[in-house]
Amino acid sequence: MQDKNKLTGTPISRIDGIAKVTGKAAYSTDYPVKDLAYAVLFKSTIAAGTILNIDTSVAEKAPGVLAVITHKNAPKLNVNGGLRGGSLLQSPEVEFFGQHIGIVVAETFEQARHASHLISVDYDKKEPKVDFETLAPNAVLPKEKDKADASRGDAKAALSSAAYKVEETYSTPIEHHHPLEPHATIAEWNGDRVTLYNSSQIVNGAQTSAANTLNIKPEQVRIVTPYIGGGFGSKGGQWANLVLTAIAAKQVNRPVKLALTRQQMVNSVGLRQQNLQKVSLAATQDGKLTALAHEITTHAAIKSEFVEPCGDCSKIMYDVPNSLITYRVVPMNVILPTYTRGPGKSTGSFALESAMDELAHKLKMDPIELRIKNEPARDPSNGKPWSSRKAVECLQVGAKAFGWEKRKAEPGQNLQGNYLIGYGVAAGTYPAHQRPTSAVVKLKRTGNEVTATIELAAADLGTGTYTILTQTAADALDLPLTNVTVVIGDSDLPPAAGAVGSVGAASYANAVNDACQKITDELITRSGKQFFARPTASQMMLSEKITEYKTRVDAKPLESAEAYSAHSFNANFAEVAVNRFTGMVRVNRFLAVTGAGTILNPKTARSQIIGGNVWGIGMALTEESILDPRLGNFVTRSFADYHVPSNLDIGDMDAIFIREDDQKANKMGIKGIGEVGIVGVAAAVANAIFNATGKRVRELPITPDKLI
Amino acid sequence: MRPFVYNRASDPTTALNMLSGKPNAKFLAGGTNLLDLMKEDVERPAELVDISGLALTTIKTITSGPNQGGVSIGGLGKNTDAANHPLIRQQYPLLTQAILAGASGQIRNMATNGGNLLQRTRCPYFYEVSMPCNKREPGTGCGALEGINRLHAIFGWSEKCVAVYPSDMAVALAALDAIVKVRNVGGQERAIAFADFHRLPGDTPHQDTNLAPGELITAIELPPSKLADKAYYLKVRDRASYAFALLSVAVGLEMAGNRITQVRIAMGGVAHKPWRALTAEKMLVGKEATEANVRLAAEAEMAAAKPLEHNKFKVELGKRSIVLALQTALNGVG
Repeated sequence: MQDKNKLTGTPISRIDGIAKVTGKAAYSTDYPVKDLAYAVLFKSTIAAGTILNIDTSVAEKAPGVLAVITHKNAPKLNVNGGLRGGSLLQSPEVEFFGQHIGIVVAETFEQARHASHLISVDYDKKEPKVDFETLAPNAVLPKEKDKADASRGDAKAALSSAAYKVEETYSTPIEHHHPLEPHATIAEWNGDRVTLYNSSQIVNGAQTSAANTLNIKPEQVRIVTPYIGGGFGSKGGQWANLVLTAIAAKQVNRPVKLALTRQQMVNSVGLRQQNLQKVSLAATQDGKLTALAHEITTHAAIKSEFVEPCGDCSKIMYDVPNSLITYRVVPMNVILPTYTRGPGKSTGSFALESAMDELAHKLKMDPIELRIKNEPARDPSNGKPWSSRKAVECLQVGAKAFGWEKRKAEPGQNLQGNYLIGYGVAAGTYPAHQRPTSAVVKLKRTGNEVTATIELAAADLGTGTYTILTQTAADALDLPLTNVTVVIGDSDLPPAAGAVGSVGAASYANAVNDACQKITDELITRSGKQFFARPTASQMMLSEKITEYKTRVDAKPLESAEAYSAHSFNANFAEVAVNRFTGMVRVNRFLAVTGAGTILNPKTARSQIIGGNVWGIGMALTEESILDPRLGNFVTRSFADYHVPSNLDIGDMDAIFIREDDQKANKMGIKGIGEVGIVGVAAAVANAIFNATGKRVRELPITPDKLI
Repeated sequence: MRPFVYNRASDPTTALNMLSGKPNAKFLAGGTNLLDLMKEDVERPAELVDISGLALTTIKTITSGPNQGGVSIGGLGKNTDAANHPLIRQQYPLLTQAILAGASGQIRNMATNGGNLLQRTRCPYFYEVSMPCNKREPGTGCGALEGINRLHAIFGWSEKCVAVYPSDMAVALAALDAIVKVRNVGGQERAIAFADFHRLPGDTPHQDTNLAPGELITAIELPPSKLADKAYYLKVRDRASYAFALLSVAVGLEMAGNRITQVRIAMGGVAHKPWRALTAEKMLVGKEATEANVRLAAEAEMAAAKPLEHNKFKVELGKRSIVLALQTALNGVG
């Protein structure tokens, strides 16, 4: 599909880039809504128990205060309305530290914050369950059906008789999404209809969950979210703060703005759960895998459950006759874990791909060779053929581009000055799906110029949705980019999939392309003429002298795609330098090679992959949310304590895309890149650290103390 | 943040008068720490006296007195200006390195030199007002003592407080034997030796320093130094920039051939104040700068450490960091 004459496939800059860097792009709480009041949430300071009393009398009398809402006076809401989590102030129960227990609304933000400090609460405190290490042995089978034990052959038997094996446990900590833009909402009621300016990765999902929770109809809720300052899963399903803003606005009969603080983000909008993953690999002397067992223990919230699928990569990466994947989960007094970039795959691949590296070392085999040796011809989990799979090409192209031959097979042998240098590799994968999405295309002719407007309730996380849809429509309509306007991020537009799970590009671009093809067809039919060569929609508007014309498509995934297993694949290469005195690690070079089908825009795609890589490097080296095991509060409260990588931590980064034509997955062959960019990254870094130092660290993040 | 009175002072005398007799009033300089703490309800001053406009920003050679030939840095000069001033870069490169190892460019552009000395601990139990913290609220206990204490002290802590003092700049100032010049409302000036400026927590962890109520830091004086040629600030941290030190080491050496005639070693991230490694210094003076001698001194210094549950690594890290810092000061960055 990457045609030299097309705009798709060319590295144009983001069309919304100038608006963003000049501050013209209005994010959710940038909307100039008149007569705004400001809300501040206040929180529980225990992790488990019951509120006996909240004294709000002083706060209510504080200057500027318009309302204080707690469970004592909050309106009745539907707690099963589809929000992911967070407290809706419906009961005095406290399930985790930092749970919202009330809202102060005031004339100014400062007045609301001040009043929030004047509230006193009496609790009946219970011992919180927050020490994962001691709770883990009591973990039980998750409720979700797809987390049932999945077994093929007899992995345990194969392991017990194996000539070569690795059996190790890998640990990953709680992480937070921490998008640069915190979750923030303006709620404005107009009669019985509410407009919620709110960062939402799933526009229609935010609409229905807000409506259901408020006990009103979806058409009574409008979500406006033209720009999103990052989400990484935390703005997929919505959290209590969205609806709390709406009830606050109702209560004071004015528009209300509520923005979470960075400190509140750790207890308000989900997290990536802590995982203990035991991976057992068995192999013959020549490196053929005979068994793979991946046993995961994790935690959920105290009353609701979400388990990230850490075993997913292990299901499909390698050709192995005996396989076992199990999940166990224990409830904890924390906010509900949720989808976090590369859910399950990023953390699961750390365990699997570290174990593969350990096995290669035991076999004295190159880790790339070991992976290629176990390349599966079909999806081992369901026997389906691959729609396409470029895993081996990713490894081979990457090895050549990265200079893999310079790696010293024996660890700890490459000392340069005070730095031990090491190379690491790890593979990754993420499923490719298209989801139902509708789109409207509107054509307008002014003299000899035709312009198009594309409308759908898609979301742009900052990744380039506007840009790729402009490119797609311009190609399909034969218009210059400047004549196409893409309007998204509004639930009044035709319903669309969410920008989640790497389905956005495939779902949106196929729908827009279908709509543009359909409008062309309709214009041709309408003309009653016959053509040898198919004319473009633009030509038809001009030749038929049509002023305005529009159509709508409700695009669905290909039914034929069901017969195939469709995934993106990658190979990650890291070169690290480890200070032999201090254990500080710098990633000198990082390369991700990705086979992800049609790349609509190599520039925005590269940015997404590199962004995912930086996340993965953060997972490997710096990111960790730490709970006090006695009190249940996060001691990592802000960006001063929760370390995302800085520029100095990371050297040269590069991304290569393998050309891949995959029309079995969907018509345009788009497989998605948002998630796969983080998968395999942490393992590549950890494997490079082993190659550098001879130290195998199985507990992330690999901070300096673990290397001295 | 609670409501407060805000006043702006135009000169030091006015500033001192404005603060006089008001125990719940504070000076506001760069605001990079105080305002954050107010937003989080940790600091609750009733009044702020803004001293950011005072003309105490000069960096100059000291022309008389005991520190003649040294350099004086204005208390309200910006960290960035101090780090980059030619007198500092040439005569006290250790201080330049230490300042630039701290915070971020934006913060250093706002933060003042005097304010840097008065910044408060980054202990998370101090910041979260619902947690016990004797420093924030005497008598409530220490949340970190038996809590998450990976970043906390290994020297000089008490049962009341295990927090560390976060400044990088101050670690270099401790190594350079700086003097803190302060003035009170009566106009009297006094000089506080750097080692006496910050306090160990003892039973009064709420008192970070020996600055008396109402005193204003007017300048920091650096005595003449022969350590400029062989100086290095090593900061070990969880990421390469914009992170507080797990542990840092400021070293300066004066050599006669391969013999050490003078050595200063100060550590950050290990105590409630910059920690002078006096044991190691004593062992090294007069000795040859061999790796064995350096290692022995480092081990002797760290032998007195009393780590907590999560920071045992700091003992080994301290030994290695002293060795690396001295090696780098002698031989350059490797």
